[in-house]
Amino acid sequence: MRVLKFTNCYLLQEDDSLKKGDLYVDIERGVIISGKELFFTAKEYPIEVIDLEEDILSPGLIDVQINGAYGVDFSLWPPINTENLPRDQQIAAYLAGLDKVSAKIVETGTTSFLPTIITQQQDLYRELIPLLGPRSSENSAHVLGYHAEGPFIAHSRKGAHAPPFLLTAPNGVSSIESVYDSQTTKLETPNTGIKLLTMAPDVEGVAESIGALAALPDVVISIGHSDATVELAAKSVRDGARFITHLFNAMPQLHHRDPGVIGLLGNQVQRPFYGLIVDGVHVHPNAVRLAYDAHPDGCILVTDAMPLMDPHLEDGIHDWRDGRRLLKQGPRLYLENTKTLAGSASSLDECIRNMTEFTNSPSYAKALSCATYHPAQLLQLSNKGNLRVGSDADLVVINRTTGEVKSTFIKGKCVYGN
Amino acid sequence: MRLIIRDDKSSVGAFTATYIAKRINEFKPTEDHPNFVLGLPTGSSPLPVYHKLIELYVRDKVSFKDVITFNMDEYVGIPKSHPESYHSFMFDNFFSKVDIDPKNAHILNGEADNLVEECEKYEELIESVGGIDLFLGGIGEDGHIAFNEPGSSLASRTRMKTLAYDTIVANARFFDNDIQKVPRMALTVGIATVMSAREVIILITGKHKAPALAKSIEEGMNHMWTVSAIQQHPWAMVVADEDATLELRVGTVRYFKSIESVQAEQELKYGNAALRPKQRSIHASSPRF
Repeated sequence: MRVLKFTNCYLLQEDDSLKKGDLYVDIERGVIISGKELFFTAKEYPIEVIDLEEDILSPGLIDVQINGAYGVDFSLWPPINTENLPRDQQIAAYLAGLDKVSAKIVETGTTSFLPTIITQQQDLYRELIPLLGPRSSENSAHVLGYHAEGPFIAHSRKGAHAPPFLLTAPNGVSSIESVYDSQTTKLETPNTGIKLLTMAPDVEGVAESIGALAALPDVVISIGHSDATVELAAKSVRDGARFITHLFNAMPQLHHRDPGVIGLLGNQVQRPFYGLIVDGVHVHPNAVRLAYDAHPDGCILVTDAMPLMDPHLEDGIHDWRDGRRLLKQGPRLYLENTKTLAGSASSLDECIRNMTEFTNSPSYAKALSCATYHPAQLLQLSNKGNLRVGSDADLVVINRTTGEVKSTFIKGKCVYGN
Repeated sequence: MRLIIRDDKSSVGAFTATYIAKRINEFKPTEDHPNFVLGLPTGSSPLPVYHKLIELYVRDKVSFKDVITFNMDEYVGIPKSHPESYHSFMFDNFFSKVDIDPKNAHILNGEADNLVEECEKYEELIESVGGIDLFLGGIGEDGHIAFNEPGSSLASRTRMKTLAYDTIVANARFFDNDIQKVPRMALTVGIATVMSAREVIILITGKHKAPALAKSIEEGMNHMWTVSAIQQHPWAMVVADEDATLELRVGTVRYFKSIESVQAEQELKYGNAALRPKQRSIHASSPRF
């Protein structure tokens, strides 16, 4: 057994605290092991010891909503500049884009993500979905599967989604399956890619389908882009919906007589997880605090990042899709010449630093849980998002005073920093 | 027997750790006895010793690479991985922080299929590496050493022990305050196992242990205060803090304080080895009771 030991570090605990300790990783299997077992049973030494000089060692970050990054748009089919190429080259270009993001995004501490596809022309789903199965390329973040945001969302809350492609589900589950099922993948088949479906229960046929969809092994239903009343939203949660897509955005504001989807944070029994875009733009810091204080254990930080998410990209006008263009101003992205926010350009590590500042937390631990342990719980992954023995050694080292990512490890191998 | 008195727990730890490091560094390996062999305790009294030993290791003042260790005891019925197991204690507080070879660190296995055999093998193993050079121990408020509670035979060897009800109650705080979860049995070295070591050091700190210190060194050897067996050991030392001396007579404290400096002078003059009883004879004449 070849073992790497991290020492002199603060380990993120599942109760949102940091505990000084050591972490042992079997670098052949890429999993966390028990140092005690190594010592007393295998009677072996670690072959390498890394002194982290009192920085934080956290499970790698998990982003469940990311539309693209580094110039790659997960929702664009065929991929940019491949319109006239044969189909197999388009597929190769799409996968190359996915791999590019996976390889680069480790600099933000992200070790797993769900490429998120926004509302598409219906027949394009058949092209995209077969390409979005679980995927782990060498030295790169894991693609866990996909998050489909739309097309079963409310016209009134369409945000930047293209209105002509929004759909209703007059035949319930079969209308929905007819969009997401492809020749090689089915919603009902585990490990083919589906992880998260954002839908609006106020769209015809959706509310009636949530129970059946949520019962499928790999499907987590999220409420989003919706005008649902709090009663309808609460019923959806009882039926099995477990997430709210980018809380506060693309939903009615909190009204005390009908608090709508946001009102789920006041639910008496089941409170769903909720995504928060903590880029400092999409949600005011006070609103972040309100949501977090109401339901800290459900908070999940998402980037909702757009292709322009690239820590190295400059401000200005950039091409997007369908001939439309976006204006990037720091973390802000607008549809050109409008005030419509079109996703975010903040990375997940920036969101963690913002969250820590907004909630006046004494350490990064609470915010880190919102990007590690919580999303893993949402997706029911027991071997990611935590530092338990047996879990995958996808790890990130965070500077304890600045919150900057110092290094990232995938399956026990350093893929960023040193 | 020597009694060393220091101001507080951490000074006791520093003195003892420095002393042990010195012994390790002075050790001359021979063919029959190639490694320094150290007996080790768990508990709160030795923690400052472990802290200081780790510090000395980090500062390159001592290495445990060639040291063999034997721990005193372990519970029966909880896995090694249990946070309250003595395996966990030793790993978390000492072994994971120094360069000891995992193959050289021995702790009784409370999960063994045959516990009697486990205990016998432990004694044989100690014998096979040439015996223990220095056994470090702490005591309980009732003067017990390892799990040799009051009434244990002073001639005992490594064996299974049923824990006293008071010990179970005292330990409940480590097991969710649930008496049902506290192990009821343990494997422990015997009093004679400890006393067979060439040198024995007992740590006694805190006011609550003052009666035990007085009983053990000012009165006769007695199986109700099992640590009192050190009175028969040819090369033993008690290291106590001021609080632990509260029940001793003033004369006792003054006497031991006064001879500490004399001992130091003699060591400087003749070297420690010359003052120490001859190793072979000690081992051969391990206490007969």
